[in-house]
Amino acid sequence: MILFEEVSKIYSDDHIALNSVNFHLKQGEMAFLTGHSGSGKSTLLKLVSLMERPTTGRIVLNGNDISHIKGNDIPYLRRHIGMIFQDHRLLMNRTVLDNVGLPLLIEGYSRFEIKRRSLAALEKVGLLGKEDAFPINLSGGEQQRVGIARAIINQPPLLLADEPTGNLDPKLSLEILTLFESLNKFGMSVLIATHDLGLIAKMRYRTLTLREGHMINDGLLRD
Amino acid sequence: MSNSLGASKRKLSGSPKINKVSFFGRVKATISQHIHQLVHNFMELWNTPFATLMTILVLGLALSLPTVFHVVYKNVDRVGGQWETASEISLFLKKDLSEEQIQVLINKLGLYENIETVTYVSRHQALQEFKEMSGFSKALNYLDENPLPAVLIVVPVESAMNPAGSKLLVANLEREQDIDLVRVDIDWIEKLQAIFYLVVDIVIAIATLLLLSVLLIVSNTIRLNILNQRAEIEVLKLVGATNRFIQLPYLYIGAWYGFLGGVIAWLFSLIMVIWLESGVENLTGLYKAKFDIISLTFNESIMLLIIGALLGLIASFISVKQYLVTIEPK
Repeated sequence: MILFEEVSKIYSDDHIALNSVNFHLKQGEMAFLTGHSGSGKSTLLKLVSLMERPTTGRIVLNGNDISHIKGNDIPYLRRHIGMIFQDHRLLMNRTVLDNVGLPLLIEGYSRFEIKRRSLAALEKVGLLGKEDAFPINLSGGEQQRVGIARAIINQPPLLLADEPTGNLDPKLSLEILTLFESLNKFGMSVLIATHDLGLIAKMRYRTLTLREGHMINDGLLRD
Repeated sequence: MSNSLGASKRKLSGSPKINKVSFFGRVKATISQHIHQLVHNFMELWNTPFATLMTILVLGLALSLPTVFHVVYKNVDRVGGQWETASEISLFLKKDLSEEQIQVLINKLGLYENIETVTYVSRHQALQEFKEMSGFSKALNYLDENPLPAVLIVVPVESAMNPAGSKLLVANLEREQDIDLVRVDIDWIEKLQAIFYLVVDIVIAIATLLLLSVLLIVSNTIRLNILNQRAEIEVLKLVGATNRFIQLPYLYIGAWYGFLGGVIAWLFSLIMVIWLESGVENLTGLYKAKFDIISLTFNESIMLLIIGALLGLIASFISVKQYLVTIEPK
């Protein structure tokens, strides 16, 4: 699913965000990505989601080398990645239903199909009945669930989550991670960036640990 | 391993979990999306009614000036046309010509290719007309001899009614031995035409500047819209929207601005015509003439709306191309 080979990212101010990183996340695998602030977690996710390009090395996504992909091709590749953000990135002037259905609208589905599948996605994240609400009227946890529903609506093979539980209390955080776990069970690859070691310890999944741009651990997190 | 679009699309779309939309489904959805977007963007304009109204009024004003100029040009051109068609050449004949000689001359003039009609006014008729027009009929009765010459009034064919054609005809007529004097008011027509063409040139320059201002106004409005919706654009790009998908609403908004500006311009021109109608009527009444001022025709009105919408579309396209591509998700 995701293959990193000797990937480095150096920003224009000579800051080395990632240094010769290697890892392979298989199809249907779920893993955590952890490390302190500035360790390179966000840069790694940005490389996978094509928001940044690697300085050196090779990134293969679902069998496609995306290291030097053309700009026009990026939107089509992003449609196969579900992205979840700490700040949810919802459109506040649109209803929950419109937010969730956005990826399908972009792909050219009919309004009827968009509504049908959006409601199904909302049911999956436990938000059925809130489809006509605006994000501003939802709690942080509910907004995060809307973000998840949007990310999974077109059944992408890969789900990327950047600090998805950052603003949530422990109970809600666990609920969200359980939701990821259930999506993973349906065959979706999931990569979750978080610095909540307690949560990682509870879930017992493969963990990639970054420190100052280096991958220092790849496996189960030791207590 | 290939990283070309075709390969990447094929490979990713080959995933069993992704249900692709059929070609006809996409076409149907695209048409439906365009219609929905068009209506939605029109409604969206009125979310900020004051700002929208101000923009449309400014656009309307900028478009109405060239429109009004066009209406004025059209009417002045009609007046000019009337003057030109009324232009006649008066040929004062030598006094000693007999009726037979005059008839020969009339027949000769009838063979000129650039003469439409020749009307003969005998010396007697000329005197009678002069008596009626001058009011000196009694005084003229005391004259021993009719002092007026016979006159031939020549109307040139349409192609010879312009100053150049008239000049050529006059030169030919002056060579005729039986004609004493050829009189035509070419000078004032030439001067009037020169002034008219100068005004037209000035109007075209001003109209071009005003149309450019329409482009700038719409372009700037769309630029501000794009910058205000930066976060939304970033989200759309993150979930896989192409630039083409994102730019569509902005293009429609630009077209709506231009179209509505065109409607305002049309209304302004209509109001102007109604307002001027009585004034023109009074003025032409003083000259015992009748002139109906005309407004834009149906086709011209449609053209105005299309031009407005096109200008808006072009302006927003320029803005979108310049700013949208620079916005990338962070």
